Amino acid sequence: MLSITDLTVSYGPVEALNGVTISVPRGEVTAVIGANGAGKSTLMRTLAGLVTPAAGQATLDGEIITRKSPEDIVRMGVALVPEGRSTIPELTVEENLRLGGLWRPKADRRTTQAEVFDLFPVLAERQRMRADTLSGGERQQLAIGRALMSNPKCLLLDEPSLGLAPLIVTQILHLVRRLADETKIAVLLVEQNAVTALRMADTGVVLNLGRIVQTGPASEIASDEKLRHAYLGY
Amino acid sequence: MTSFIDYLIGGVSNGAVIALMAIALVLIWRATRVVNFAQVGQAMFTTFVALTVQTLTGSWALALVVAMVAGAILGVIVQFLVLRPMRRADTSGAIIATFGVLIALQAAVGMIWGGDAQAYPQPFDNAGIVAFGRIWPISVYDFVVIGVTILLVIALSLLFTRTSIGLAMRASAFNPEVARLSGVRVSRVLTFGWALAGVVGAVAGVLVAPSSTVSPTTFDILLVFAFTAAVIGGLDSLVGAVALGVFAGLVISLVSGLSNSGNAPVVALVLLALSLITKPDGVFGHHKARAV
Ligand SMILES: Nc1ncnc2c1ncn2[C@@H]1O[C@H](COP(=O)(O)OP(=O)(O)O)[C@@H](O)[C@H]1O
Ligand SMILES: [Mg+2]
Repeated sequence: MLSITDLTVSYGPVEALNGVTISVPRGEVTAVIGANGAGKSTLMRTLAGLVTPAAGQATLDGEIITRKSPEDIVRMGVALVPEGRSTIPELTVEENLRLGGLWRPKADRRTTQAEVFDLFPVLAERQRMRADTLSGGERQQLAIGRALMSNPKCLLLDEPSLGLAPLIVTQILHLVRRLADETKIAVLLVEQNAVTALRMADTGVVLNLGRIVQTGPASEIASDEKLRHAYLGY
Repeated sequence: MTSFIDYLIGGVSNGAVIALMAIALVLIWRATRVVNFAQVGQAMFTTFVALTVQTLTGSWALALVVAMVAGAILGVIVQFLVLRPMRRADTSGAIIATFGVLIALQAAVGMIWGGDAQAYPQPFDNAGIVAFGRIWPISVYDFVVIGVTILLVIALSLLFTRTSIGLAMRASAFNPEVARLSGVRVSRVLTFGWALAGVVGAVAGVLVAPSSTVSPTTFDILLVFAFTAAVIGGLDSLVGAVALGVFAGLVISLVSGLSNSGNAPVVALVLLALSLITKPDGVFGHHKARAV
């Protein structure tokens, strides 16, 4: 389980996160939703070690992950799929995947790669092609596959729907759901696209200007009209 | 016509050495976006180390190997000097620092080995090969130079395409953040890149030494040609560095043969200017515009 306690992050005078507390149990999908600038990416980048928090901490199964380097955090079992195109276009599909597990023994890497190909068959077909020849949806699958190659206990997804057609978004989020169900990974998903994210998440967290305004079962959050009008803008 | 072809043939081994030096520049540029002008200073330093080993042991091969090891160590030291103090500064500061290191290395060599030009022993026959009833403008030693260069280029391309450290180096160059998120210890990988460039530069120095002399500044001209080749090749491209390096060797040989050797650097700079105006990303480059 990933436990985030009282996490506070500032960029100079800008306070991007203020006292954020979230629990992400294994086998469940927790969706953090909020408008542009709410602090979603800051949360993810802090958990992955790219940003150092001013206060608070995060633990994975009791071990503290905050204030460690990204290289160590991924070895501890937390993998981030960052916002935007997080594949390396100049490398082939196979190389992007291999990169994700480069620090692991070769045999373990092979096993995980077979599992990733089961989950995303299109990546197996395109192994030898450069990543920049893939479609947007395929590239997002590759980005998730790269993160999975570290065999994480916790997967962090920063707006996987960004720039993708609605049908592809649904498809990818279904795969994420399956992943949580089958592998018992703890998934923390942040999205602006609240409707689709809440439909497949177990728990919903609403983030506004760096603070949590509501936490609850995803279905309740999705049907709360006041919340929707106030923070999600629809 | 015969002389034209002779000049071309005679330029190949010189081109191979320029290609190696250009590779060293490209390796560092790709990893850290720094043009390492100290590279020739490092090569000159390691060539003096090689000369000392050669004088003591008489073994050309041992001298080459020692120079390569020294090149790796010196590469790491130079990276530390150039990059650590300005971790957060932009890379133009680091590029200026490489000039400082170059001058410091030249001064150090002058103090240790003296400022006079010294001859580097010729390990193989350097006379033109006689075949088909004539003397060709290429020697056994030229073939050694070309052979060592080809081996090194093959070894590098295998390193980049077939090994984990090679993949880590490419990933760190293309997208350091994604590399770190994948668990690659990017700063160590970059240091390995500086060491590797040091090795390649050291080989270039030892190979070119018998055809010139060695002194604190002998290799400066090599920098002009290697930099030109690397930039025209696209700075990002190892293929470009090799192709343009060899091409530069041919051009220099032609210009020197048909006019005089003092014109070669001028021609190089004209080609560099033309290339920057017409193809700012280089012939083999595939990246966005950059400032030079
Ligand atoms: N590197 C940074 N430096 C300064 N301010 C930043 C930086 N990154 C984000 N911010 C600010 O922090 C706030 C939260 O940004 P972000 O975490 O990217 O939100 P979201 O991902 O929800 O859109 C915004 O006000 C943004 O302008
Ligand atoms: Mg964001």
